[in-house]
Amino acid sequence: MSIVLYLISEAFLNLRRNALVASGAVLAVFVSLALAFGALVFNELVRVNTLQWQQGDHLIVFLKDEGGQAAHNTLLEQVRNYDEVESARYLDKSGAYREFQEMYSDQPALAATVSAADLPASIRVELKDISAYQEVQFRLVGDPLLRRMSVFSEGIERLMSLTQVLNSIGVGLVAILGAAAVVLIANTIRMAIYARREEIAIMKLVGAGNWFIRVPFILEGVTVGLLGGGLAAAAVYASHQLLSGVPTDILIRFQVEPGFLAGRGFLILVFGGLAGLFGSSLGLRRFLRI
Amino acid sequence: MIRLQNVAKVYDGGIVAVRDVDMNIRRGDFVFLVGPSGSGKSTIIRMCLREERVTRGKIWVAGKDITKIPSWKVPYLRRTVGTVFQDFKLLPNKTVAENVAFALKVTGCPPSIVRNQVPKVLDLVGLSAKSDRYPRQLSGGEQQRVSIARAFVNRPPILLADEPTGNLDPATSVGIMRLLDRINRTGTTVVMATHDHAIVDAMRRRVVRLDRGKVVRDMTDSGYESTNDPLEP
Repeated sequence: MSIVLYLISEAFLNLRRNALVASGAVLAVFVSLALAFGALVFNELVRVNTLQWQQGDHLIVFLKDEGGQAAHNTLLEQVRNYDEVESARYLDKSGAYREFQEMYSDQPALAATVSAADLPASIRVELKDISAYQEVQFRLVGDPLLRRMSVFSEGIERLMSLTQVLNSIGVGLVAILGAAAVVLIANTIRMAIYARREEIAIMKLVGAGNWFIRVPFILEGVTVGLLGGGLAAAAVYASHQLLSGVPTDILIRFQVEPGFLAGRGFLILVFGGLAGLFGSSLGLRRFLRI
Repeated sequence: MIRLQNVAKVYDGGIVAVRDVDMNIRRGDFVFLVGPSGSGKSTIIRMCLREERVTRGKIWVAGKDITKIPSWKVPYLRRTVGTVFQDFKLLPNKTVAENVAFALKVTGCPPSIVRNQVPKVLDLVGLSAKSDRYPRQLSGGEQQRVSIARAFVNRPPILLADEPTGNLDPATSVGIMRLLDRINRTGTTVVMATHDHAIVDAMRRRVVRLDRGKVVRDMTDSGYESTNDPLEP
């Protein structure tokens, strides 16, 4: 037990002695991991905002209230029979209200201003081929039940390919910045070892084992990683809180689920610690051989 | 206690530091390794600590063939051998007491023993009053005393000293030699590399003379030079 306490105190003493280098490493890890975490959150925002379109609602036909349910069912059957249509479903006012409440569950003030009566019923259309949206649009124009049509086919295509690109960039960024954090910590530990090379040689001469010398450096690396990761998680959480309070276009949400933030934030913290462990082990490997 | 059998050391580039050395040092001996610079004295000390590996031959230290022990066991070897160097090799950021305690801490010694042993050994070397000072606040002789205290604190059976008086004035050197002699009288085997004639002549102990890596004289109760040496060229 005394050895454990001794090694921990040595690690923190080292950090205090190399405060400037250690602070630089914490900041560098913080920037890397904050960007990586930011990329994860951005990807989630893109996913949340395009969820409706990814689920296959290529075209939404909003209906007037006239004619009632029977007229709406007739039109639904008519749409289902179009050759271009893969499937069509009817969403009545209460369904539209439920969907609205779900979409804006994180904005209760907005959700409270809308009632089921305010929202139109609609037919959600999934097309066999999205490029055929104009034919369907042409058939429906002039229908007395039609209130408005939202066509998303081209937008969807662009958005989907953009989402894929953004996802790939995000994953790439996370990988590169994560690796950068590891290398930065490894470099910091190497610098610390180089600065203390004579001291380490003396430790070896009086019989200090490899692990007795290594453990304080590893703890130093893990502490740097945890501090950097913790700061990154806190910074992204704070930025998210700030952004989610900014009033935006109703169709764009700057909010992700709190569970997502907490989960990924914890992962970033753990990754920081692991990066410290791996980075310091990497830094030690070449320099501490008996 | 220390035995070298047909030991040779060749450094990279073919530089021969030690050749065909046979030596047997018994428990409680005080042995001087003498000879000019480059004669192989320090290399022998370093090989006994496994700082250098032999090119050929075998070395037994405290009954173990150290040419065969794996790297992870080297720290255990070094805990049985106290070492003193010309440049003291003290940890600059630790106080006198912390430097001495460090040699015990690396062995996992309980704090109660550390607290008990450190003052005793500092008393032995006459530095009790300076236990809170840092190495930079001490004279050369005092730093060497700390180094000896650190080497002796866990009561090793062997103490290796590589030119321990090399950086000290003659008066201070005498003090250091008295200390090493006192440690030797407790039963600790002392092997000291030096080219200090005065000290070797004054002590009258076993002297092993090396020249270009070979043992050229090995006599007990001797001085630095000897006119009736059968091995002397």
